[in-house]
Amino acid sequence: MLSYIVRRIMEAIPALLGISIISFILLHIVPGDPVRIMLGQHYTAQRAAALSASLGLNKPLYMQYLIWLGNIVRGNLGYSYNYSQPVTSLIVHALPTTLSLVLISTIFAQLFAMAIGTIQAYFENSIADHIVSVLNYFFYSMPSFWLGILLVIFFAIELHWFPSGGVVNPQDPNPGFADWLHHLVLPAATLTLITLAGYSRYMRSSVRETLLLDYVRTARAKGLRESQVMFRHVLRNSILPQITLFGLSFPGLFAGALFIEEIFNYPGMGLLYWNATGTLDYPVLLGVTMFLGVLTIVGNLLADILYSLVDPRISFDNM
Amino acid sequence: MAEPLLAIRDLKTYFVSKHAEVRAVDGIDIDVQKGQIVCIVGESGCGKSMTSLSIMRLVPKPRGKIVNGEILFNGKDLLKLSDRQMSDMRGSEISMIFQEPMTALNPVLTIGTQISEILVRHRGMNKRQALDKAVEMLKFVGVPRANEIIHEFPHQLSGGLRQRVMIAMAMICEPKLLIADEPTTALDVTIQAQVLELMKKMRDETGTAIIMITHDLGVVADMADHVVVMYAGQVVESVAADTVFEQPKHPYTRALMDSIPSLEEDKDVLYSIPGTVPSAANFPKGCRFAERCPLAQPSCFDKAPELREVAPGHLVRCDLVS
Repeated sequence: MLSYIVRRIMEAIPALLGISIISFILLHIVPGDPVRIMLGQHYTAQRAAALSASLGLNKPLYMQYLIWLGNIVRGNLGYSYNYSQPVTSLIVHALPTTLSLVLISTIFAQLFAMAIGTIQAYFENSIADHIVSVLNYFFYSMPSFWLGILLVIFFAIELHWFPSGGVVNPQDPNPGFADWLHHLVLPAATLTLITLAGYSRYMRSSVRETLLLDYVRTARAKGLRESQVMFRHVLRNSILPQITLFGLSFPGLFAGALFIEEIFNYPGMGLLYWNATGTLDYPVLLGVTMFLGVLTIVGNLLADILYSLVDPRISFDNM
Repeated sequence: MAEPLLAIRDLKTYFVSKHAEVRAVDGIDIDVQKGQIVCIVGESGCGKSMTSLSIMRLVPKPRGKIVNGEILFNGKDLLKLSDRQMSDMRGSEISMIFQEPMTALNPVLTIGTQISEILVRHRGMNKRQALDKAVEMLKFVGVPRANEIIHEFPHQLSGGLRQRVMIAMAMICEPKLLIADEPTTALDVTIQAQVLELMKKMRDETGTAIIMITHDLGVVADMADHVVVMYAGQVVESVAADTVFEQPKHPYTRALMDSIPSLEEDKDVLYSIPGTVPSAANFPKGCRFAERCPLAQPSCFDKAPELREVAPGHLVRCDLVS
């Protein structure tokens, strides 16, 4: 198992190199000059040249890349142009906010998806199944920012049930857990609703396939109660594909959080990235992109390890 | 004769869709006495598997449906039980072994869990007691290393061992009736013989009646007390096992016997029955075998024959034999 993990990490290095090259090139293709943005109305050619030189932006692109790469290998993601802070500390600061949003949404989305997908598959082609399918497609096709805005209009502005943004109430000198939770409801609900639809479609088809398998018939032939058949024999096998899906969708969730954090002014990685895009804050943009790259690889590795724990047929001993 | 353990009366199991009504089982009568081994023989698609699933009330929903008949088990009609009452019977009074031991076991649960859950469900044992009993049962059906195997998963076992596990699962509550749907088809010949031997031993020791679904006449010769031959959803011949090999009456049964390869006669071409089984969605109005029957008369195509007793205990669905 350990040697397998080490090998997977070694294999990840070329992938990460590729990600770094592509994102570096893409970022520099984007029109705009960070120096010009930073100087704003104080712009003069002289100041620009000086700033460029101090940021290393006057060097040829491949040199900039190599310098940046050299720093990254030493664990230094560079300094943000905007915040004059190390990118690492910006990420470390923003990560918990996003992570709590993403994790809570994922847990809820997966739990609901399992329940909804299973019930749909069990009562396949019933009216309820069709209604839920239509609702699923409705949320699946809805852009996250639009759903977020709708929720804000309805639950924050009209009903005043939840705050429209932020992590905690800024006027409260000692905001507690309840306040934090209160602020989390709307953004988390948006992310949950958007991801729930896809998960529950997968779950539905997974359960449907499992229900037709021989060992489910065996379980019924043993006289087990329908609830035992479903929980012990059907569900356990049906969630296996969900694990892979979880690993694959993890970075996507961070991307989804980007819009949601912007709408709800929720200061996580998404908002950090969003603001950096506006000012072409290269070190932040590259740092966050690389972080997501690492996250993708770790997510997949975690999914594989998790899979081996749930499915006894998969073992890393002879891989 | 004493009241049979199982009496199937005019059972009809259909598959209904928008476009067609497939009559998989079309009015069959079968009796099984206590401790008897009854073999149901026929080609694929003749309705033998659907008959066994009907007894278990496990016909695939929602399209498959038992539309008519009675299945009397100890005089009680299984078709009138509630779903809950029926699930109390399954695995406890009536149990079933399937063809593919590979896919019939759950890949992510240990053998021990899969056997012991039956005892927990039907006998109210706790997990510990149930596992002990499972080990005992595995030893009884000849599984080596039973103590270790209860912690292993199906993919770690050979096909023969898996089928022994299936038998242990089916027999652990000492059911009155065991239905085995081609239990040896997926196994090597040598393993086949062992598994059949084991099933006979179980019958002798527990008095469990067995319905054995098979298309293998070798298995019939080996096991059966009584033989039911099915063709196109109907019983065409029902007789004691000895008689069926010596004096098969129905032309279909005779054709089946003729298609057994023999070592004594040196035939170049093995006999096979011409044509195919008629579609269960569209049976002819006359005898269902007439198309393929070497003895068919014009009248056979007009009038469907009834199952009738041609000799004591010997039922045949053919108007031409006596």
